[in-house]
Amino acid sequence: MNRLNEALIVTFALLMLGRANFAWAQTAPAGDAANGKRVYLAVGCFTCHGRSGQGGSYNGPAPALADTKLPLEAFKVFVRVGPNDMPAYPESVLSDKDTADILAFLRSLPGRRPAKDIPLLNQ
Amino acid sequence: MGKKSFDPSVVSRRDFLKGVTLTGAAALAAPVISARAQQPPASEHAKVVPQPNIAAETQPPPNDPVNQTSSGGDFMAEVLNTLDIDYLSMNCASSFRGLHEAIINHTRNKPEILTCPHEEIAVSMAQGYAKIEGKPMAMICHGVVGLQHATMATYNSWCDRVPVYIMIGNILEADKRAPGAEWVHSAIDPAALVRDFVKWDDQPATLQHFAESAVRAYKIAMTPPMAPVLLSLDAELQENPIPDRERLRIPKLAKVVPPVGDPSAIAEAAKMLVAAENPVLICDRMSRTPAGMARFVELAETLQCAVIDQAGRMNFPSRHPLNQGARRGAVVGQADVILAIEMNDLWGVLNSFRDRIVRSSRPNFKPGTKIITLGSRDLYMKANYQDFGRFNEVDLAIAGDGEASLPTLTEQVKRLIDTNRKSAFEARGKKLAEAHHASREQAKSDATIGWDASPITTARMCAELYVQIKNEDWSLVGNGIRITWPNRLWNFDKSYRWNGGSGGAGIGYTAPASAGAALANKRHGRLSVAIQGDGDLMFVPGTLWTAAHHRIPILYVVHNNRAYHQEYMYLQAMAARHGRGITNAHIGTTLTDPNIDYATVAKGFGVYSEGPITDPKDLGAALKRAVAVVKRGEPALVDVVTDPR
Repeated sequence: MNRLNEALIVTFALLMLGRANFAWAQTAPAGDAANGKRVYLAVGCFTCHGRSGQGGSYNGPAPALADTKLPLEAFKVFVRVGPNDMPAYPESVLSDKDTADILAFLRSLPGRRPAKDIPLLNQ
Repeated sequence: MGKKSFDPSVVSRRDFLKGVTLTGAAALAAPVISARAQQPPASEHAKVVPQPNIAAETQPPPNDPVNQTSSGGDFMAEVLNTLDIDYLSMNCASSFRGLHEAIINHTRNKPEILTCPHEEIAVSMAQGYAKIEGKPMAMICHGVVGLQHATMATYNSWCDRVPVYIMIGNILEADKRAPGAEWVHSAIDPAALVRDFVKWDDQPATLQHFAESAVRAYKIAMTPPMAPVLLSLDAELQENPIPDRERLRIPKLAKVVPPVGDPSAIAEAAKMLVAAENPVLICDRMSRTPAGMARFVELAETLQCAVIDQAGRMNFPSRHPLNQGARRGAVVGQADVILAIEMNDLWGVLNSFRDRIVRSSRPNFKPGTKIITLGSRDLYMKANYQDFGRFNEVDLAIAGDGEASLPTLTEQVKRLIDTNRKSAFEARGKKLAEAHHASREQAKSDATIGWDASPITTARMCAELYVQIKNEDWSLVGNGIRITWPNRLWNFDKSYRWNGGSGGAGIGYTAPASAGAALANKRHGRLSVAIQGDGDLMFVPGTLWTAAHHRIPILYVVHNNRAYHQEYMYLQAMAARHGRGITNAHIGTTLTDPNIDYATVAKGFGVYSEGPITDPKDLGAALKRAVAVVKRGEPALVDVVTDPR
């Protein structure tokens, strides 16, 4: 895949991400969160994005994914293309079903809390 | 034996024994010769039954002096004590036994010896120490096998531009080497092993030569760009009596003044910065002394411009409103003038690099951006190892020490600012302050994700740690999770809050370098803390014993993610690239089965410890108890089972 095509796909995914808040209700996958957690840990997603989906770093920052509002199709684009230095996972090693299950797991994770409610973060 | 009897053409130094004291019995050498004379000729000897040689067996040994009243090591120790060196780290070795003995007895353990169970620990301790104390620690090891152990830490020190005063033992004269170890521990040119990453080395042939080279080495190490230096010390020179002490002279150590950039070039840089709409200051290993951060803050506040601190040293306060490190991409993208001070990898900051099958890059800055560099790196460089990074095209390159050049630059900037520019600067500073505040709020929000999770998130670990130390005079002297979370959550507001990373990214740095820095902080009454990677600790666990033995107060918080995690991610990327085995990346990259119990390891070395802590609710209390131990003057370790990053 050349860089132009890749850039177009990622741009599409980002556009989808921008629409995510209202699109979410219509695109919610019937994923299996329990299997998604198993796969997320087994195939190494957690190495960059954290076991709690809190984000981390690889060669650069890896975004937080807990409680993501990313639509399934956009999520798949990220997984298959791998923006920046993110590894790209083809369907031969990560099926569409497992990808949907991972997304279901990420959506099940508690996201951000108000920082003001945590005294340790207000020092 | 008098001085006039010394003829180097016929006797070696070990044979020349001015100052020796023969034992009373040993002075009776003549009877031995007589006894030999009594033996029959060889031809007759074969024909007769050997008889006991009563005379030879009952006489004293031949002329073999066993005492001496001076040694070259004594003089060497005296020389070292004229230099500003307080400590000598070492793993004991026979090739420097002469100097070792002289230091413990002749100069009464000055410099103070630090016992290290590995040469890599000894050099790394010196590296961490120098970055806090601003002067070198000496280190000594075997010239061959010890130096091979010490090479990685020497390379780290070189890349980190840190002065380390390395000495090695060697036995130059082949006929004086004992069979076995002394041969495999000797070399014609032992410094060749590290010559690519020390600034200067020498192998003195005489004691006067040593004195002059010792002072020269110190001066070279301390002149920016600072770097390790090495002296190879002949064992004979260390051990033999001094033939002519009254003729030996120790040169005085001059005050070392760092080079300042050319004033006209600095004036040109000031003009460009004042005229710019969005100037950006970037620095890495800029602050050498406590004055560095204050000078840098003054320049930034005068310009009211964005600052990106690469954190090679404690350059800029983390909570200063002009600190834009959290949004460096946006800041560099908007810049029209960039001043980069003491940068090691400017290209890496100004460009985005993609680690894909086809590697590619693109600049982060807009076309036409003017780039100025100020630093001492251009003054000294070597070719083989590529630590100088990719060449970066710039508009003005000023060779000079960054910290030393800042007062001139700031003064020039102040002269050029008129009322209009001042008003524009204030408006710019206000926007930057708002962006900084937003970044801080973002950091807090990011830290809440997975707050109660086990394994414990690195954000939670850092927040728990900070609350235990924030009211102390703390110093973060090592960080195995990069600087990210502490820098986002903690208030780094003093010159010793942080001392930079390894330099060469060589594993095995954090534990010993932190101990060295903590030793320096001890004198100032500071609380030293290191966030210690588990993989790093496994390289040099013996550091814990050194910390316990020498009562070095330091808190090690083990970031125990049970992996060489960066490599785990790299392997994951390789497997994904091939579309195979994406569940196998833990093989060869993780430290599990069995899990390592670092608290038990620490206890075995005599270090107070807690853990493994897996529940975040238990972490605060464990850290509090450990901090109390450190405040009593001892090391402590808390093993925290953490998420990867």
